[in-house]
Amino acid sequence: MAMVAKLIAMLGTPQYTRDRCITGIHGLDEITRGGIPYGATVLVGGTCGSGKTTLTMEFLVHGAQMGEACAYFAATEPSVKLLENIRQYTFFDMEMVDKGLINVFDMDVLYSWLGLTKATFDRDDINSLVKAITDIVNTIGVTRLVIDSVTTLCYKIPNDQLIRDFLFTLGKTLATQGCTSFLVAEITSAGAKAHWSSFGVEEAILDGIMVMGDIDRMGHLLRFLQVVKMRGTDHSRAKYALELTPMGVMMTPMLKWGVDAT
Amino acid sequence: MMELDQRIAEQLTEITLNSSMQIRCGSSNSFLVSASVIEPLINEFQMGGVYICASRPAPELIATFTEIGVPVGGVQFIDCVSSALLGGTENQYTNISYVDSPIMLESILLKTLYRLRQMPTEQNFVILDSVNALAIYNEERMLAEYLHTFINTFRARNILSGIVTVPDQTPPSVLANLDLYCTDLIDRGQVVIS
Repeated sequence: MAMVAKLIAMLGTPQYTRDRCITGIHGLDEITRGGIPYGATVLVGGTCGSGKTTLTMEFLVHGAQMGEACAYFAATEPSVKLLENIRQYTFFDMEMVDKGLINVFDMDVLYSWLGLTKATFDRDDINSLVKAITDIVNTIGVTRLVIDSVTTLCYKIPNDQLIRDFLFTLGKTLATQGCTSFLVAEITSAGAKAHWSSFGVEEAILDGIMVMGDIDRMGHLLRFLQVVKMRGTDHSRAKYALELTPMGVMMTPMLKWGVDAT
Repeated sequence: MMELDQRIAEQLTEITLNSSMQIRCGSSNSFLVSASVIEPLINEFQMGGVYICASRPAPELIATFTEIGVPVGGVQFIDCVSSALLGGTENQYTNISYVDSPIMLESILLKTLYRLRQMPTEQNFVILDSVNALAIYNEERMLAEYLHTFINTFRARNILSGIVTVPDQTPPSVLANLDLYCTDLIDRGQVVIS
């Protein structure tokens, strides 16, 4: 009897689960079965207009609401323009920026600070960039970080090996600091045969991949999100229809008879 | 003055909040039946809700509801028709959200959920008017799948749902699914004897 009780107790023992970073985004924490594993570096690959910026900014806002320090590195548009666009959403409060909970950095300004004025970066430039980002993370105590977009940044890196090294070093350093990061990648197609990143190397070394794109349904574009990979969690790999509401992102499972992506 | 169907109001007293009603009507009495459903929900049960217009533009419906004394100021309308009409979205109503096309079924669901999150009322309803209009644009299997999702989504949230259908013009598999998944039936379908 004691043996049986021991066996039952063993079977009933919960499996080891990693601590999670609750994104607070409607649907996403259910898709990832409880949130993104802490310290994960996730590639958010998406076509233009698919909602990447809104989703990643909402990720930071929910962190800020819980008192976490967050950083957003804007490489595709000036921070002033970004904040002006994001203010239309009711989830965003400018006070979070004023209080230093959400810190927005222009990559161009960062490049200037570091004296990175060349058209392409060499290994030393990349190391100083990683160090600068790490210093910011350490100084402010950042636990949530977004780089929008890593594609724009990688255009300055001349070969795949350097891109791989840059992302690997950055991901490793951020994970060591306990910082959960979303790296935005611009892709031109989110269909079944598409790459999930611009250079094809980002997806192999990062902890997670989320793809955002459009389903063309008789000429109307319906946004979707799909979590393709997420190390450390048993997640859904289904496509979810996504809507950008004034309250932020909302998701529902995509109808199975209407999922063919363009 | 249009006289509402009081038997529907009586039937509604027996329906629970997580019910899903199949509202059968004929092609000529659909507005009367819809009005007879939402009037007691608003006035007697003090409910708020979302009304999905796939058959007619929301401004037209709001004007007609108002004209017959159904106060729909607290109801949010999801309009799937007006975007297809040039200038159709220009009106004075602030309680209308637009969906580009009835083919955007997931958008309709998400916009409905969004509006429900903003509702000040504790008890809410969702009316889908109508399955027949959605069937014009959507393939039968997809529509059947959607109705399955739609009904279960609102039942799980304790939100009363009602789906308007003209049964003799509804695809058989869709109607079979409605029969299977809906918990209640309000039957005001008309039989045409030719």
